[in-house]
Amino acid sequence: MGNKEKKSHFDKGELWKKIILPGTVILILLFLFWGDNKPAIPDPVALNAEWYTPETARGEILVNTVLPGNCFICHSVQVPDPNVIRPQFAHPTVKLDHGVNDRCYNCHHVYDRDSLAGDGEGRINFATPEKLCARCHGIIVRDWKAGTHGLRQGGWLVEDGADPVNFTCTECHDPHSPKFKYKIAAPAPTWPDKTLRKTRHSDDDPQSAYLTETIQERF
Amino acid sequence: MSTEDQKNLGLKNEDQQEPVISRRYFLAGTACLSVATAVSLSPLLNAEEVPSGDDFIQKHYKELSDEEKKEIFARLEARIDKQYGVSTSISDPQPMDGVEFAYVLNLGRCIGCRKCVYACMKENNQSRSPQKQYIRVLKMKKGTINLETSSHDYPEKEASSEDFFYMPVSCQQCREPKCIEVCPVKATWKEKDGIVVVDYNWCIGCRYCEAACPYHARRFNFAKPQLPAEELNPDMGYLSNRPRYMGVMEKCTFCLHKTRRGEYPACMEVCPTGARKFGNIRDPESEVRKIIEQERVFVLKQEVGTLPKFYYTFAK
Repeated sequence: MGNKEKKSHFDKGELWKKIILPGTVILILLFLFWGDNKPAIPDPVALNAEWYTPETARGEILVNTVLPGNCFICHSVQVPDPNVIRPQFAHPTVKLDHGVNDRCYNCHHVYDRDSLAGDGEGRINFATPEKLCARCHGIIVRDWKAGTHGLRQGGWLVEDGADPVNFTCTECHDPHSPKFKYKIAAPAPTWPDKTLRKTRHSDDDPQSAYLTETIQERF
Repeated sequence: MSTEDQKNLGLKNEDQQEPVISRRYFLAGTACLSVATAVSLSPLLNAEEVPSGDDFIQKHYKELSDEEKKEIFARLEARIDKQYGVSTSISDPQPMDGVEFAYVLNLGRCIGCRKCVYACMKENNQSRSPQKQYIRVLKMKKGTINLETSSHDYPEKEASSEDFFYMPVSCQQCREPKCIEVCPVKATWKEKDGIVVVDYNWCIGCRYCEAACPYHARRFNFAKPQLPAEELNPDMGYLSNRPRYMGVMEKCTFCLHKTRRGEYPACMEVCPTGARKFGNIRDPESEVRKIIEQERVFVLKQEVGTLPKFYYTFAK
């Protein structure tokens, strides 16, 4: 038992007191308060019902709403002009944008407000607009009858009682302006950048050099 | 070995009466060590998803008997009820005979409104945070089909633009799926009706399938999927839209809980322009069959030889 023994014992005690104990306490505190380094995930936000509710492309944008009242109040006094292009003051919302088909009475019956123009003097009921559309767009209507054109809902297995829901021409297309002007669009994904294919906004963007090059090569 | 060495090594010296470590310091050290161990392991206590014992011994989906399935579904339903407070029913519709599903998407019609993306999220109980979506709508310049320069994150105001066309890409349900070939545990496979499915309870989350898929159609749950309870779709399929776990792969299943009952998938029903067509490719009267026979259709990345059942067309 010499000085050496005492010194070494003293050293060990110092080691425990001054390094290991405080070190452990610090480590425990670190684990307790700094350990939770997970990236904050925002709380889930409910989706906007507009983004997933089924509807046709015509949707609510029924610009050319049918005027209420009796059409014959005006149309019986006026002599119909078969070359009318612009609708009269009573139809302010109607803007005819149907390509070369720019005459009201191409589609509407000249003398009968409640009918569409069929072949010759024939009349087509408003409930079956496809008969009118078929006069020009025969192939499309053929596809529509086969189920390959237009929106269908319900089910693919017809014999199971789930009849497919078909939509007529005017339920999706505005007849006065048949091109889709569907306004409801859902937002871009909020994914991390590395999993997202980013937009290259312009051709001057150096990143889009490949795009311009290939386009110029091809055309 | 000298005495000094022995002391340094902490060995007991015969001459030394006092222990190297006194009882007091030994106890203090042990207490410190055990507290430190407990604290460092404590995150396991509030781990987000700890599988139960039944989860651990659950067999592969294909080896389950009907009774076992019933038990498992009841267990999962109870868990969903506990977590979301919504009573659900987990079904397991089987593939029909003589049915093989195919999809046709008319790119001439798609306006890029992304409603299919969100209808899919709603139907399939996909995680809202972090966001998971099966469908990516790629915006491309007209005149070229160049996936390299397409953009996926265009803002909604850039939808239905005249200068671009929009190509929704989701799982192509390949006839030769590369994703199932690479799975080391066979947790993903192709069903008889051509739908590639994942058993979320069997997946080990290695993400090989994500790397193997040429269409980037598979999504991995890095975090626990979160969705509001009021948006939970209670009509669930075991292989399709039941809530997923953290650390598993998920993918489009053509809404098999709907389509195997004869209904249309959610993305098709919601499409406002009717660009999407779905049906049984083996039925000569089905819509998809008619389009494939009559129109010019193409598949994405034909050269990789996956033989997708998802066709694109530019039909009028």
